[in-house]
Amino acid sequence: MSLVTLIPLFPLIGFLINGIGFRHVPKSLVGIIGSAAALASFACALSLFIGFSGQPEVTHLFDWITVGKLNISMSFQIDQLSLLMLLIITGVGSLIHIYSVGYMHHDEGFGKFFAFLNLFLFFMLLLVLGSNFVVMFIGWEGVGLCSYLLIGFWNKNSNYGNAARKAFIMNRIGDLGFLLGIFLIINHFGSVEFADVFGKIAEGDYESGDKTLLYITLLLFVGAMGKSAQIPLYTWLPDAMAGPTPVSALIHAATMVTAGIYMIIRANIMYSLSPETLEIVGWVGAATAVLAASIGLFQNDIKKVLAYSTVSQLGYMFMGLGVMAYSSSFFHVMTHAFFKALLFLGAGSVIHAMSDEQDIRFMGGLRKKLPVTFITFLIATIAISGIPPFAGFFSKDEILAHVYEHNKLMWVVALAGSVMTSFYMFRLLFLTFFGEFRGTHEQEHHLHESPITMTLPLMLLAVLSAIGGFFNLPHIFNGHASLAEFMSPLFAHTHSTAHEADASTEIMLMVISVAAALIAAAFAYFLYIIKKSVPAADGQESGLKKVIYNKYYVDELYDKIFVTPITVLSNFFHSVIEFLVIDLIVEGIGKGVKILSGEARLLQNGTTGYYIFAMVISIAVILAWSLRAFLF
Amino acid sequence: MQYQPSDYLPIIVQLIAAIGFIVATMIATHSLGPKRNTKLKNEVFECGIESVGDARTPISVKYFLVAILFVLFDVEVIFMYPWAVNFIHWVNTSAAVAKEMFLEMLVFMALLLTGFVYVIKKGILHWEK
Amino acid sequence: MNSIIALSLFGIANLFLGFLNNRKILLPATLAFVLVALGLNLADWNQEYLWFNNMLRTNNLSVNFASVILVATFLVVAVSRGFGDDEEHTHPAEYYAIMLFSVVGAIMMVTFENLIMLFVGLEILSVSMYILTGTDKRNLRSNEAALKYFLMGAFATGILLFGIALIYGATGSFNIHGIEALVLTAAGGSAPALLYIGIVMVIIGLLFKVSAAPFHFWTPDVYEGAPAIFTAFMSTVVKTAGFAALFRLLGGAFTGVYGTWIYILYFLTMLTLIIGNITAVYQQSFKRMLAYSSISHAGYLMLTATAKVAHTQSSILFYSLAYSVATISAFAVLMVVAETKESNAEKTNENFDIFNGLAKNNPLLAFVLTVSMLSLAGIPLTAGFWGKFFIFSDAFQRGIVVPLVVAVLMSAVGIYYYFKAIISAYFKEGDVPAIELKPIYKITLIVTTLLTIVLGIAPDLVKSIF
Repeated sequence: MSLVTLIPLFPLIGFLINGIGFRHVPKSLVGIIGSAAALASFACALSLFIGFSGQPEVTHLFDWITVGKLNISMSFQIDQLSLLMLLIITGVGSLIHIYSVGYMHHDEGFGKFFAFLNLFLFFMLLLVLGSNFVVMFIGWEGVGLCSYLLIGFWNKNSNYGNAARKAFIMNRIGDLGFLLGIFLIINHFGSVEFADVFGKIAEGDYESGDKTLLYITLLLFVGAMGKSAQIPLYTWLPDAMAGPTPVSALIHAATMVTAGIYMIIRANIMYSLSPETLEIVGWVGAATAVLAASIGLFQNDIKKVLAYSTVSQLGYMFMGLGVMAYSSSFFHVMTHAFFKALLFLGAGSVIHAMSDEQDIRFMGGLRKKLPVTFITFLIATIAISGIPPFAGFFSKDEILAHVYEHNKLMWVVALAGSVMTSFYMFRLLFLTFFGEFRGTHEQEHHLHESPITMTLPLMLLAVLSAIGGFFNLPHIFNGHASLAEFMSPLFAHTHSTAHEADASTEIMLMVISVAAALIAAAFAYFLYIIKKSVPAADGQESGLKKVIYNKYYVDELYDKIFVTPITVLSNFFHSVIEFLVIDLIVEGIGKGVKILSGEARLLQNGTTGYYIFAMVISIAVILAWSLRAFLF
Repeated sequence: MQYQPSDYLPIIVQLIAAIGFIVATMIATHSLGPKRNTKLKNEVFECGIESVGDARTPISVKYFLVAILFVLFDVEVIFMYPWAVNFIHWVNTSAAVAKEMFLEMLVFMALLLTGFVYVIKKGILHWEK
Repeated sequence: MNSIIALSLFGIANLFLGFLNNRKILLPATLAFVLVALGLNLADWNQEYLWFNNMLRTNNLSVNFASVILVATFLVVAVSRGFGDDEEHTHPAEYYAIMLFSVVGAIMMVTFENLIMLFVGLEILSVSMYILTGTDKRNLRSNEAALKYFLMGAFATGILLFGIALIYGATGSFNIHGIEALVLTAAGGSAPALLYIGIVMVIIGLLFKVSAAPFHFWTPDVYEGAPAIFTAFMSTVVKTAGFAALFRLLGGAFTGVYGTWIYILYFLTMLTLIIGNITAVYQQSFKRMLAYSSISHAGYLMLTATAKVAHTQSSILFYSLAYSVATISAFAVLMVVAETKESNAEKTNENFDIFNGLAKNNPLLAFVLTVSMLSLAGIPLTAGFWGKFFIFSDAFQRGIVVPLVVAVLMSAVGIYYYFKAIISAYFKEGDVPAIELKPIYKITLIVTTLLTIVLGIAPDLVKSIF
């Protein structure tokens, strides 16, 4: 058994042990098994990474479906992209597993939680390891399922269940697009293997703007929109915060939501040949980035702020994809995984300390009580705001530079988003960790730093958030852009029209964005530290603020446009169509068969003479028919 | 060897003649003869003894068993006649074939005897148990 | 071919084992006999031989069919449990002997090279079946069934024999390869009418044996009247042998006059499917439902038997195996449940409702029943699904569209009555006490169920051999 197969196998085994043995496996062992599975996968991924030859390797497991000429095999592909994703998933995943041991310790569904978490890892690994679109789709659906299970993990609260359903349904809309895209690929290329499909395109028979590729890429992008929470399918992600915080960190920040970006990078050769799609991708990303960031400005739930921030950062990544800065986008995926996981885990630590309080209006002054959490959270905030030399600065600026080269207007939008990001992140930081404590006495008494299993992942992630940018240090800082270098074989056949900005422009852009971020941070400092203002209670907002606080009423809008008419229609179908048409036909056929059967039964009347008579008649008829040539 | 359906015509003619003769005679006797129906004449005639009860009385299954066994062994023994006739012929012409024939008849007889042993052991030939 | 000789001797041996006054050894002895026969049968693999002055022919096809027959026999014997402890009214030695003799007939029907052998094999098989049907001597229905079966069977045999005679009259040969050649030449020019009559009559005679409509009338009455164990034997072994014979004739000797019988068969296939499936819907008795189900399965098999293409033989074989295994486990469950109810002095009727609440105390039996019903209905992940799949895809490739559409529709109807048993077992209120199963019984049930599932997951395991 090769190393590649072991990677998804470990989490699967972990899932089976913890899932089947739920309530039977001792609690102390559950966490160890779950974390060990993740760590073992990480070790395998690391050793693969170290021994990687630079050439893509496909490991064929078995032929899964063979229909006519189409052969869909269960096979894994190891190349630059899947290796990096593997490292992120298993690495961050392991840390979050360890964190969960502390965080979920008091939960009665501890074993179930680890089982789901491992199952999620399994599917996520399948998603990135698959060497064809179908295996990828299996993983894609699987992570959707796990996301559903984990959002609704505390299933006694029906709101959480609704949030889970919302996530599932919105994802299904996207998945349908993805599935149609796969069908179109099968129809057009006769294969779903990446190597075959992309190989055919690389032969150069396709003009830029090819119609088939346009439809395929658009459909695939619909899938990406669902999974990566882009406009208009983004509203599920903030609601998904109903799940336990480690889930938000792992699934809804670091890994699953970046699947859409992974897919587009995987299929970059197609996207590069359809500029229209890229334009759409870019603008959808830009719009999402700025819209989500603006909603984030006035949210008071610590996790909601981070959720909108995630949506907004995903928007940045799509913006990067839209301008064909694939490696920059991926760089951002990586750094984002570090600092956003860290932010969520930090938030989790805060929530843990605050006895499940999530509203930042009732926090404040926590930095003395939670020093480790505070410092790591600070690092993450600086990183996400794009202030050098932390990770976010490098990755975001790379995207911004490419966007600037491509389209100045988009760059302005992106910059506005970046300013807002910096503002709401520092607002969050200041309201949570500075000033006076605003919660109850009981909570204040209870405040404590989290256990080592929780703080250790925080510290490790903090280190990564701080230095992560140096993995891809741009040339102007005498770096080697090693990540971009490593990933370059993936884009070997891609006809890139993006051109590099010259050094002076690049430095100018950096200065502008850093200055903007710093100004926004300073503004937040002024508002929340110097003026000590605290966001108003619910229902007290007014004007534009109210609109934004209520997320532009998008949910209500969707409700009016989609949900209400569908409910009405389905009621109509339920009460009229089903009753009058379906039941009539279905039961009619059933009744008809039964009546017929009752009649046919009478043929069998038990009299031998009659039987033989019937046989003789039949024989006579058959003979007459077969001898018709002689008789007539 | 090729027969046409018309070649079978004589058979049909004969069939018609045979059936026709019977039917014709029956009709003729029925209509020609005088009829005088009395109660006594219409009664079932049974050797002078008065008829009592149903003719279909259950008969002991032993009768059937013995009858069937008789038929069985009888028919099997009949097989030996053609065998014997051929055997003489082969004894005179080819010793090898005759030897094989003899062995085959031994097998046949052995099987027959086995059956006989089974019948006896099963107690079928005991009229009363 | 030694398997025929061995089985005949084993049958006689069984008769004499009966004198030992030890009923316990009969079951293992018979199982061993069947296994030995199976081994001898497999020894003919990959060898093409003519036996007994060109009377019988063994090749891989015949070995395969004979193996399916012997496996089915083995399973039936395994679930027979020595026919109970009723010393006075059951005669296990004779039953087993007759079963072995009938298998001899069945194998002759598979291997015949000469039409006389077909007739002899068919008669050995049929006469054995008449006897076995009437073995429940104190049961009026059993007697009635035996007599009915005998009368109608004799009628059908007469038709078959008449057909053979006519074919001989037209071609001057009993040898099926001789007939094939003569039929081919005759088909070109003006063949005599009696050849066609003969061929159609032989086909009708065989269709009676496999209970195809409109020659199926005996099936429900006989299946219902016969003891369940022999019904299981009848619906598997007889059917497989009948189809083997039919397939060899249609695919070989009678191919030359394809046009004469193919439309008749299409029509009768549809008629069989419709009558079998539709009538089964109304049945209250589980056994009678299985009888109609056996008619409808004959319809599915006829869909393939009409093929001229060689590769369809593997479909027939696979289907026969899947069908036999599932049917045997269904009958096995029926037998133990009915017996338990009977011993509790309840009125038994072998209706669906004796399964009510089966799953509560007998999860294994309920599961076995479910798997066999699913397989008969052709639900995926069971052998029955692949059986149907292969047959339908063969039919599709040959462009037999109308019968295929009927078959697909009727297999949908089939789901209704097969699921009635599952519903009874799992969803209906009722009380079946926990049934203690003998180890061999349990093992056989588990084996049949596993076989159904394994073949449902990996049909190529067996399909590639056939």
